[in-house]
Amino acid sequence: MKPVHRRTLQAWLFLTPALLLLAAFSFWPVGYGSVLAFTDYSLIRETRFVGLDNFRYIFNNEMFVSGLKNSLLFLLMVPFVQIGAISLAVLVNNRLPGIRLFRAAFYVPVVTTVSVVGIMWGFMFHEQGALNYVMMTLKLVNAPVGWLSNDSLALFAVMFVTLWRGLGWYMVMYLAALQSIPSDMQEAAMLDGANRWQRFWKITVPMLRPTIMLCSILSVLAALKAYQEVDVLTQGGPMNSTFTALYYAYDQGLKHLKLPRALAASFVVSLFCIGIALLCLRYLKPKHR
Amino acid sequence: MMIKRLLAAVAAVALFAPQAYAVEKIEFWTFSMKPKFTPYFNAVVASYEAQNPDVKIEWIDFPWDVIQTKLVTRIVARTPPALVSLNVPWADEYARDGLLTPVDALLGEARANYLSSALADLTFKGRTYGFPMYSNVAVIAFNTTIFKQAGLTRGPASLDEQLAFARQIAQRTGKAGIAPALSKIDGLFMQQGLSVIVNNKAVFNSPQHVALVQKLADTYKVGGLLKESLFAEDNFPAVIDAYKGGRLGMLLAPPTAMQRIRSDARDIYAITDVAPAPLGPTGIADGGWLVHFAIPKGVSPGLLPAVGKFARFLTNDDNQLAFARQASVFPTTIKAAADPFFLSTPKNAGAAEKAVAAGAMSMNHSRTLYVAGIDDYDELRRSLVKAVEAGVTGKQDVKQALDQAVAIWNKKLATLAPH
Amino acid sequence: MKIRSRPLKTRLQLIGQYAAHYGVLCAIAVICVFPFWWTLVTAISTEGNIFAFPPTFWPKAPSLENFVEVFNAIPIWSFFKNSVLIAVFTVFWKLLLCSLAAYPLARLKFRGRKLVFGLILATLVLPSEVNFLVNFITITQMSLVDTYTGVILPNVVTAVAILLLKQAFEEVPQDLIDAARVDGASEWVIFSRIMLPLITPWLATVGILTAVESWNEYIWPSIVMSKPDEFPLSVGVLYLRGTFGSSTRVVAAGTLITIVPTLLAFLFTQRFFMRGMDGAVK
Repeated sequence: MKPVHRRTLQAWLFLTPALLLLAAFSFWPVGYGSVLAFTDYSLIRETRFVGLDNFRYIFNNEMFVSGLKNSLLFLLMVPFVQIGAISLAVLVNNRLPGIRLFRAAFYVPVVTTVSVVGIMWGFMFHEQGALNYVMMTLKLVNAPVGWLSNDSLALFAVMFVTLWRGLGWYMVMYLAALQSIPSDMQEAAMLDGANRWQRFWKITVPMLRPTIMLCSILSVLAALKAYQEVDVLTQGGPMNSTFTALYYAYDQGLKHLKLPRALAASFVVSLFCIGIALLCLRYLKPKHR
Repeated sequence: MMIKRLLAAVAAVALFAPQAYAVEKIEFWTFSMKPKFTPYFNAVVASYEAQNPDVKIEWIDFPWDVIQTKLVTRIVARTPPALVSLNVPWADEYARDGLLTPVDALLGEARANYLSSALADLTFKGRTYGFPMYSNVAVIAFNTTIFKQAGLTRGPASLDEQLAFARQIAQRTGKAGIAPALSKIDGLFMQQGLSVIVNNKAVFNSPQHVALVQKLADTYKVGGLLKESLFAEDNFPAVIDAYKGGRLGMLLAPPTAMQRIRSDARDIYAITDVAPAPLGPTGIADGGWLVHFAIPKGVSPGLLPAVGKFARFLTNDDNQLAFARQASVFPTTIKAAADPFFLSTPKNAGAAEKAVAAGAMSMNHSRTLYVAGIDDYDELRRSLVKAVEAGVTGKQDVKQALDQAVAIWNKKLATLAPH
Repeated sequence: MKIRSRPLKTRLQLIGQYAAHYGVLCAIAVICVFPFWWTLVTAISTEGNIFAFPPTFWPKAPSLENFVEVFNAIPIWSFFKNSVLIAVFTVFWKLLLCSLAAYPLARLKFRGRKLVFGLILATLVLPSEVNFLVNFITITQMSLVDTYTGVILPNVVTAVAILLLKQAFEEVPQDLIDAARVDGASEWVIFSRIMLPLITPWLATVGILTAVESWNEYIWPSIVMSKPDEFPLSVGVLYLRGTFGSSTRVVAAGTLITIVPTLLAFLFTQRFFMRGMDGAVK
């Protein structure tokens, strides 16, 4: 065998286990799940093709539609998260004493498991919990607020927790990007008399652009797929007001065993996500090497 | 390689085949029983295993918000538990989807031991799907001081009287009279004999329904209904707080609530008297919530007789009585429900003991009230509750609000296959 | 510090700026850290109303009895052991399989290389969270429900790990490899004897990130495992809350037991996390 071919064979041998697993658990679900969304997949009888029936059902169903709306509402968070993360990154991108501690403090929510985050914020959001105490002391409200029991507020409480969890992660991304900005550009600008603000907008931000694009896309995708925080904080309540599209899929599929509808819902979410990702790739490609 | 495997298989078969009888393993699930009832269930399991050495029982308890997902997981994996604790709406949905095994054959003669109302709760399309375990029923507790001030001498005997008394209390004492859980208005309709759905069409805008909601609206207007959390999903915490604070004349609650009042508000407890909850024209008492043991689909048919035997044991008179006493709920077997523990009241009975007696008398009239047969029912209920809220608080004309809700319901019901 | 050499007015300005800077940092740090502090205080205290107004910011009558209660009440040692098992095996298989996959992509020319690379990048685009339904069906068809294998398998190969390790391999000088090839070493030997040892820091990074991710994973293990004794900690702590909802202190204690290992690991290995991020950004 020629060395080139042998290498091909060996390369493929190396790759096979990983590719098999990727095929089984990353590609197969997308394909098979999409097909199943058009059937009435059931455990107790034969599966039949039903066309758009499942989609008709879920789009007529208030839980799913409001869930989809909520998922889109989650997108409101994206600018806040990104601006917050960039600001934090700028604030900690220095050698001030103790700055390492701050960086760690901001990242701790990221390394905490969702279930614990849900439990802790459940404590904070309690009617007699710390948040209400602070709000009442600051005279922002007069009576304890039911953050998780009021159906107009609960979704925002869940969104806040998602923001709380994500801020540190994006901060670290921006920090890494900031630290790779060559300092001579900043120094040259300082010599030219540019003040902090100008330097930030004219130099830092443009150099951060690829990172901002990347983080924004990741943030958008994460917002559309949010559902774990819902599960640990409110289980979709009160009165189904904190349902998100993917939580609907989880609830219908794994609580009520209505798999066709759950698959249809997750298909819709997939479409959104893949669509956005493809759009961004097309838009971004020329800028990337 | 093949030969080695073959040999291993043969050896395995040879080792295990001659066993006289295999130990049958039965796994049963409950929800929200730990940690309070761990000793109770451990004792039940131990006693059964002692009497039946060929059976091994495994007890697993889950938080109630998780048990459904675990059950579904195991059904999909085709390794369901032999018995699982469910409430009636869950059972209705699972039975409809073909995920439960009917237990008529396994109930057999033991059928006669259970309260007919409990069995009726578990009968869907003519087949029974569970072994009743415990239920509850509401009683009316009333603040005798407020009643005296309002010129009332006894508990109300019907819903109309409840509302009339509430209006009287509001007018003469300025306090709220009653705090019905209007987020469960569908159950209230049904208890009063007014169906919510007939022939797959929503009918709660009929003159009788409108009249009922109008009565609620009139009572609300004069302050007879407690305003806090009137339409919340779970108004019980606010209601019991109001009663404990002396701001509410009547409290419709299960007898366990009396114990809470006793421990949290002794002064109010001392002036509390109790009467059985009024039966509606249907003869159904309010507050029924049956929990039972069901058999999921996929349990191997060979195991079913053993499962049935254990289920009958688990829900027999003695065990139900012991559990009900501990948990302050009511048993669902005829003998246990008639036990002196429930029916007799000691000489200086306080409200708690009287409540238990009052409740026991109503047990056979206790049905779990819910609208059966509809997937994602909650979204429909929400539109109904919002309409009732608009009508009761006077924001919208009652008939108009109900008409709008009926339209929403009929739109969705039209897309569902009739059950 | 440059402050002392400046005139008074500028000095004050600078001090003001630093104060503001630290002020903002502290405010946000408090928001990030306070829930943990509250949980700690609640877990350690044994007296006082948990949800009192004003809330207790400092432990009252501190003792460890809540922690003891947790150990008695739920099989927390089992949860801990399960988490460790799952994490260890996930890390092992991930490092093995992903480095095996990354090596050819980094250092070998072979037919179909572009295709494979493209496929792996494609998985970054796919919304993986959405896959839990079908993956669950697949796992049940493989009879892997209620097994740790079922929990681990879908997470073992990820594009991010492959890409990070690919980068690691690319940093190894080519002449080392060429020399080995000239000596007639097979690819496997080159891989295992030369490449892997050289990228140990990267392996450590991926390993730690994977371990933390696995320890913290909640939704997938909760779907696959249905026996409480076999839950990992992240799922078990919710079981604790569900069972002991009314004993807030016990729940708080259990929560702390769950996060302490992760926090410790994080504090001691911060730079690995940051380095992982660096790699991801590139």
